[in-house]
Amino acid sequence: MKELGMILRKEFWHVLRDKVTLFLVLSMPIMLVLLFGFTISSEIRNAKIAILDHAMDSQSKSLIDKISASGYFQVVSYPENETGIDHDFKSKGAKLALIIPAHFEESLAKEKIATLQIINDVSDMNVASLLNNYIRSVIYDFTSDYNDLADDPVLFDISVKMQYNQEMNSVYMFVPGIITLIMIIVTALMSSITLSREMETGTMNMLLITPVKKVYVVIGKLIPYMLLSFICTIIILVLSVLVFKMPIRGSLLLLLLLCIIFMLTSASFGLMISALVKTQLDAMMVTMMGLFLPTVLLSGFLFPLDNMPYFFQLLANVFPAKWFIIALKDVMIKGSGIQEIWLYMLILFGMAVFLIVISLSRIDKRRKK
Amino acid sequence: MQAVVVDHINKCYADKVAALRDVSFTVNQGEIFGLVGPDGAGKTSLFNIMTTLLFADTGTVTLLDNDVENDYKKVRSIIGYLPGVFSLYPDLTVEENLRFFATMYKSSLKDNMPIIRPIWGQLSPFKTRKAGKLSGGMKQKLALCCALIHKPEILFLDEPTTGVDPVSRKEFWDILKSIQKQNITVVVSTPYMDEATRCDRIALIQNGEIIKIDPPVKIVKEFNGTLYSIRVKQIFETLDVMERCPIDSNFYPYGEYVHVVFYDKDTTTIKERFAAFLNENGVEYTDMEEIAPSIEDCFIELMERRDGVQY
Repeated sequence: MKELGMILRKEFWHVLRDKVTLFLVLSMPIMLVLLFGFTISSEIRNAKIAILDHAMDSQSKSLIDKISASGYFQVVSYPENETGIDHDFKSKGAKLALIIPAHFEESLAKEKIATLQIINDVSDMNVASLLNNYIRSVIYDFTSDYNDLADDPVLFDISVKMQYNQEMNSVYMFVPGIITLIMIIVTALMSSITLSREMETGTMNMLLITPVKKVYVVIGKLIPYMLLSFICTIIILVLSVLVFKMPIRGSLLLLLLLCIIFMLTSASFGLMISALVKTQLDAMMVTMMGLFLPTVLLSGFLFPLDNMPYFFQLLANVFPAKWFIIALKDVMIKGSGIQEIWLYMLILFGMAVFLIVISLSRIDKRRKK
Repeated sequence: MQAVVVDHINKCYADKVAALRDVSFTVNQGEIFGLVGPDGAGKTSLFNIMTTLLFADTGTVTLLDNDVENDYKKVRSIIGYLPGVFSLYPDLTVEENLRFFATMYKSSLKDNMPIIRPIWGQLSPFKTRKAGKLSGGMKQKLALCCALIHKPEILFLDEPTTGVDPVSRKEFWDILKSIQKQNITVVVSTPYMDEATRCDRIALIQNGEIIKIDPPVKIVKEFNGTLYSIRVKQIFETLDVMERCPIDSNFYPYGEYVHVVFYDKDTTTIKERFAAFLNENGVEYTDMEEIAPSIEDCFIELMERRDGVQY
């Protein structure tokens, strides 16, 4: 056991003395969370809107006030006719136009029906569909307010339906994804590099010919990087909760346990990679291509798995990230307990054991080469 | 008693190049045994096999009656190894490296201080310096300290003085002699022929084969031929001319000189005959004298005799 303690001490010396790497590793989660948080957010504020008001009555004025007050829109022009709208799209940067028909108030009161027309600038489809949803939701608000006061409900010729909150959705997506990426970078990449560095520089041979148990060497490599990765995870969680109001609905303890298991899995992946390659550069390339890319592309972090060809859906099962992200989302967002996610934890743990056993045998087999 | 018994070792790598061919030798306990040969001769492969890091294809190696493949755990506890490339942690200090390896061997700095004292005396002023910042000679002394920290019975040193300055090389060999006095068997490889003379016995190795094993003095004594050293202005032109020399001889460049080995039995007139040949062919030379062969000359002569290699 004294040897394990010494190996751990030595690994911590390596980690703490490489100040640049340590700084990068610890600042990475902060950078990633803030970048993703502020850049990938799909919410749009103060989009420019043009309003062609044929009615000019109190109800049309009240609708326009509601649109301005929503915060989503900034009314940039009031064109006088429909050619004016086209002009405002081109010269004033309007993304959306609303046409309020003549006798708007009268139609509401007498005919109990109103037809509103929305014109979208669809040159950016994502923005267009988002703004379309916003304006529909504002009109929907206006309708409910009007109907609360009226005796007979009025029909609006716009079907308004907002199924989910866009803004919240992006946070839900990126936090589990970033936690996964950071863990892969810190544990898998760093442990594969440090182990292959020992092989490349020959210190591994020096260690191998000492009577020390190989499993101590391996544990000594895993623990410091798992700890570092754990610190990064805490940083991400704190930032997500404080800055982006990400909820943690399930048990925090369960969440951390899940993270520890995934760290072990990704560290063992790193270990296996370093047992297969000979140099640090190879270890880095293989980790990036064999683990990092599949994590980004095949984990459901950025692209939904359901839309992929069946082969890739099957392939995704091999990588631990998929299982981890499912379990992580379940705990954080749905508030699932251990009874719902035990299978994912078991899969991750099983992967870790399998990989460690393979790597240990590979390190020993080197002697036969 | 024999400390090392290498018996008919063969090793072939994936690219089908035979690294070692039927290598056999023994090393007596307490002896300094040198493996001398050029780069790529198979020295490091042999060291890796002897130190349990590599399996041989066929053949056995036993160290103090322990088989390196079957009893590798026991073997690892009785050997010390200094690999050819610097293999300590550059970001750890001298003392940290030493303590680390002491712990790995379940030993301690204090327990084995007597054995490393001669080296530690030179290293201790730098004990807080990072190993990566040491000079080449100091690095090797630290590596030697780490290899000795558990008081091994056999010490394997793979080219310990390659890239080390001449003064440090001499110091290093003085240390090896003092280690030998503590009844530690030393197996050392080197590409430097001058170092070979400091070994009790040497094995000359080339292309994976041992071509001679004897004490260096005996190898020199058995040199077959008369050796002349000539200083010439144009070395390569001279070598071309000498291809046509009618006297039974071999020649090779040796720094600014050309060494010529004559196999002709009539040694009394050789110098005159050879001088006449050079003059006839317009070779300008100064200083032509008979010299005593060095280990390097012996090595080249042995290789020539074996393979017909021309220099």
